[in-house]
Amino acid sequence: MSDLYEAILNGNAPAAAEAARKALEGGTAALELVQGHMVPAMDEVGRRFECEDYFVPELLLAARAMKAALALIRPHLASSGAQPAGRVVIGTVKGDLHDIGKNIVASMLEGGGFEITDLGADVAPEKFVDAVRAHRANLVCLSALLTVTMSSMKTTIEALTAAGLRGQAKIMVGGAPVTQRFADEIGADGYGENAAVAVALARKLVTAGAPA
Amino acid sequence: MRLKLISCEVLYREMCAAVARSPHQVDIEFLPKGLHDLGGSSMRARLQEAADRVDPTQYEAVLLGYALCGNGVAGLVSHALPLVIPRAHDCIALLMGGRNRYQSYFENHPGVYFRSTGWLERGENLDQATLGVVRDKTGAGYTLEDLIARYGEDNGRYLFEQFNGYQRNYRQLAYIATGLEPDGSFEQRAREEATRRGWQFETIRGDLRLFERLVAGDWDESDFLVVPPGWRVKPTYDAGIIEKEQVP
Repeated sequence: MSDLYEAILNGNAPAAAEAARKALEGGTAALELVQGHMVPAMDEVGRRFECEDYFVPELLLAARAMKAALALIRPHLASSGAQPAGRVVIGTVKGDLHDIGKNIVASMLEGGGFEITDLGADVAPEKFVDAVRAHRANLVCLSALLTVTMSSMKTTIEALTAAGLRGQAKIMVGGAPVTQRFADEIGADGYGENAAVAVALARKLVTAGAPA
Repeated sequence: MRLKLISCEVLYREMCAAVARSPHQVDIEFLPKGLHDLGGSSMRARLQEAADRVDPTQYEAVLLGYALCGNGVAGLVSHALPLVIPRAHDCIALLMGGRNRYQSYFENHPGVYFRSTGWLERGENLDQATLGVVRDKTGAGYTLEDLIARYGEDNGRYLFEQFNGYQRNYRQLAYIATGLEPDGSFEQRAREEATRRGWQFETIRGDLRLFERLVAGDWDESDFLVVPPGWRVKPTYDAGIIEKEQVP
């Protein structure tokens, strides 16, 4: 595969940026770099994570390399009029300050062509509601690392429902103690067991949902 | 009664003190601290294995010195002996004497990091096999030097920042004093850690009643879940924390 693909897989940010720069200068379209190189690279990173060849550090470094390339590619994407794969609002729910997993998912989605609004950690339900409205998001990603804050996921989903935003935005949830069963119970649209499956899940939800 | 207690070693002093005063004979097996870092299903497997090793002809119940612990007890099955588990989210709630006090403290004190004797003296005490897995899977527990050696200068520093940056979100360190401490040295260590991290410091009085009731057989349904053989633990994510469900 390409230098860009290899650099992302190896978590080499300077090499990824260099490969992106060369490809852009050589006339490769920005969208082609994303769809033909970065997305497959992140899919491969996810595959290696699933089979425990890669762990969290490798995931973080691959995401870092991807972001380095994306910083160069993004202006070209914007000027070519390419639409993002979806508009995502992401955050760790109220009461919970853990953000590593959320950051990894945000990076992976960004590399997967999504536009990200990261609200950080300890985010109140009404902040999610406001951000979904303001950014016309069609996907909301909620993270929780503590069982004690998992109930905040439920209240956040209730707030989004009460605000009438469920038709506009799908909701996916994740975090170490979160399970599919819990996701079903609180009425989430999707659950990702780990960051590696987040991009595929996000694509599926956005495709199934209302047009952005 | 003869009871078997399987407990996280982070509660070592509290459990030993409670067992010493129990009217029953309680045999203890401590498991390494930090199993929750392995993830719910791996932790459950470790606990299930320990519970299933208990000889049903020798004991009347298996007590768990755990809480929900990041879903580490979710799905735990009672095979031959009833399992008894306190209703709490984690060991901090156990040390505070119950989930209600913990919940209200948690809601009123965002960004608090907790310490107890076990969390202080058993800091790096994971058995090597467990520690290796946790480090590799999560990156947690690596020093900056470790990360630089493994991933190079630039990526090593980046990872260290990623793994430790969350601490910027914390504001306070709370030491839970149980009254079992031999002197003020544990509290002092906690205070020094707070100073080092630039956090405020507070000492909270612990409450050992849940420990005492667990080993005394005082398993009131409001504070304990008793899982009979053929049933398993199910998290409820509400005020009750856990309930039992029949194994299909």
